[in-house]
Amino acid sequence: MKRFIGLRGAASALIAISSVGLFSTAVSSSGASAAGSTFVIGSVNSVQKIDPDVVTNFLDFSALGLIYQTLVQENAKLQIEPDLATSWAFSNGNRTLTLQLRQNVKFDDGSTMNSADVVASLQRAILPATNDASASFIGSVTNIAASGANSVVLTMSHPDVSVLEGLSTVNMAIMPASAITAGTIATKPDGTGPFEYSNWVANTSFTMTANPTYWGGKPSLATVEIETIPTEQSISSALQAGTIQMGLLSQPTVVNTLPKSYGIQKVMTLSYRALQLQDKKGVLANVNARRAIACATNRKQIVQDAVFGQGKVVGPVPLGPYATTPVSAICPTQNLKQAKKYLKLAGKPKGFTFTAITSTDLDSTSAAQAIAMQSELAKVGIKMNIQNLASAAYIQDWLKGKFQAAFAENGADPDPYVMYNRYFGADANYPIPAGYSSSSLKSLLLAGDENSTTAGQVKDWKALSNNLTNNAVWIWLFDSYDFAALAPTVKGFTLSPVNSTQLASLANTSVS
Amino acid sequence: MSIILAVVRRTLSTIVTLFGVSVIIFVVLRLLPGNAVTESLGVSEGLLTKAQIAALNHYYGVGQPLLQQYWSWLHSLLTGNLGVSLVSREPVSTLIGTALPVTLELAFFAMLIGVIIGIGFGMWSALHPGRWQDDIGQGISVVGLAIPSFILGTVLVVFMSSHFHYFPSSLPFVGVFTNPWLNFQQIIFPALVLSLGIAAAILRTTRAAVLEISGLNFARTALGKGVSRQAFVWRHLFFNALTAVTTMSGIQLGYLLGGTVIIEQIFILPGLGRLLITSINDRDFPVVQSVVLIFAAGFVIVNMLVDVFYTLIDPRTRKR
Repeated sequence: MKRFIGLRGAASALIAISSVGLFSTAVSSSGASAAGSTFVIGSVNSVQKIDPDVVTNFLDFSALGLIYQTLVQENAKLQIEPDLATSWAFSNGNRTLTLQLRQNVKFDDGSTMNSADVVASLQRAILPATNDASASFIGSVTNIAASGANSVVLTMSHPDVSVLEGLSTVNMAIMPASAITAGTIATKPDGTGPFEYSNWVANTSFTMTANPTYWGGKPSLATVEIETIPTEQSISSALQAGTIQMGLLSQPTVVNTLPKSYGIQKVMTLSYRALQLQDKKGVLANVNARRAIACATNRKQIVQDAVFGQGKVVGPVPLGPYATTPVSAICPTQNLKQAKKYLKLAGKPKGFTFTAITSTDLDSTSAAQAIAMQSELAKVGIKMNIQNLASAAYIQDWLKGKFQAAFAENGADPDPYVMYNRYFGADANYPIPAGYSSSSLKSLLLAGDENSTTAGQVKDWKALSNNLTNNAVWIWLFDSYDFAALAPTVKGFTLSPVNSTQLASLANTSVS
Repeated sequence: MSIILAVVRRTLSTIVTLFGVSVIIFVVLRLLPGNAVTESLGVSEGLLTKAQIAALNHYYGVGQPLLQQYWSWLHSLLTGNLGVSLVSREPVSTLIGTALPVTLELAFFAMLIGVIIGIGFGMWSALHPGRWQDDIGQGISVVGLAIPSFILGTVLVVFMSSHFHYFPSSLPFVGVFTNPWLNFQQIIFPALVLSLGIAAAILRTTRAAVLEISGLNFARTALGKGVSRQAFVWRHLFFNALTAVTTMSGIQLGYLLGGTVIIEQIFILPGLGRLLITSINDRDFPVVQSVVLIFAAGFVIVNMLVDVFYTLIDPRTRKR
């Protein structure tokens, strides 16, 4: 017996280590309560930048949208509503926009917001050296001037009612003129929102505290922390362990594993999936070849295969008052007979071959979309080769237009001008990846932008959608959901589809 | 004298190896498409003018000639300056200084558990060949080798969180001196997962070595001369098997550093592995280069220490 004492010691150590799980369950609740004073949000992404003018990452918009505010904002129905501007009016044939500012609004540094701050903020946004990614949305603005302490006047080079949409993004955040002068914006956020910046650990966490002087009333959550958790499965586990109170998710498979007691909120994302085509050369220069692809595509099947049915087939304008209905002017649903007719008209009755690029780094569902589409196109003899690229390679090829077709997830906007002027407008930023241009599209975009009546815009934007889909410029596929999983104790949170205000209702959220 | 010579020889080869690693990692990273600007802006890069992109390239330091970049990095490295992260603008040494202790602690616990289980069950199996004790040992080794650590880790996390609402690693990581008990809970489970593969390899090596040695003439002679069972097991069998066990442990420790990359992702530990993955995704070259160099240095140094250890435990190697 004595001779095996050493082995027994090793076995005892093993058992002791294995028992830790049993003992430690007793302390799990204490661990959760330690984090209880902080409302923790788990996300696979991390805050990348804290200068609101240069952010491009979705989470950056959501996080900084709690600290900074804009003159106007989009509500859950994607309609423009007041934020730091209480009212506004277009004049001079939609070439001048006058905004009245909210009064008694304080920045985190204690100073009161006035028109000088607004002018300085917008001027910083359009300054080329700032590299503001949304500067083009207010590219028509030629002058920004204060009109008294609480009014600002924007002068545009041409009639442009879409400028309001441009002002609603965090990239147009209002910040103190003194902070702009001091050059502290990129290191210490200072806004007027419900929360104040507290701490940022790159790739780990971003922490905010309640703003006691918030004009909308001090939030009940004392501290909000966005914690980077590398996988959605780990977010689900942390939520169930009670160490986080909210998880931002996009994978339906993970959402479905959560018990029913957890609140699941889902909203259509303000984006869309499309197969972008290079329409200027090769077989895809033939409009009937493109139409054949459009008619052979089974969008419902793609939604099923790519996001397990958690999405909606959409046209060029996925959401908002100008949403495209039906989703396409030709073949809104799969029509193989019609696809074959278009192939004959294209002079390719037996079909043709083209290559589509995907990047699962950028959109994890893109390969599933491509495979689903590949099998449907094959039914009419169209062979689609698939090339999956790393994110950087995809971006470089996309920007240079070095592709025949590209599965893309593009940001959307309720205003079709903001969405498509960058691709097809006279002053487009992305004419090369857009792969198509026409004078009729440019005219439609301008007409819709200059039209200030709702009825007129509905008509203009419907014509735009029809033009895009009738020419099968791209093949618009679907929009998917974003999910917020909430601990059972969380009350009052509503997920917004708009990036800049996605988490805005945290101002009214409480934990019971 | 031979030990000193061995150390000097291995140190020199370590320096050459690390230099080679630095060149390879530098070149490979530059062969990847894209850079910090692309990763930072995505397709929004297309919204900027050429002058703006040139300004960003200058800011991120990605426009310089390759040789100049490498020389600049190497020079800084030799003077103890690892550079600055392109993403967070924090010194790389600060980022590594925060992450390295987490990975070292994880590796230490995983190795400790792996060695205890591996040697313990390996000896137990070897001393009872063909019996139920051997079957248990063999079973553990098969399970340990067959189940990838990322699957075991995921299953463990899902099981603990869904059944016991327990996932201590998802709380902000605390240092061992700040809250030893919470730190232990955060480290022990990923360490257990990592240790299983290590234990399996060491277990098989220990068992095979002990069985082989127990059949040699000197072992039978020792038994014939009436050496006590305990002395026979530990002094004659275990000590002689130690060379093989040490070799396997050294190899496992080297692989362990790589294994932490995935386990730190699953268990949300802010260690070097997670820092490496994030930095690769961000094309944050200064961080990636330094972290890979640390992993490589760790592997090489461990191997050097194993070689030195040989000379201590096996006098025959000193005469070579």
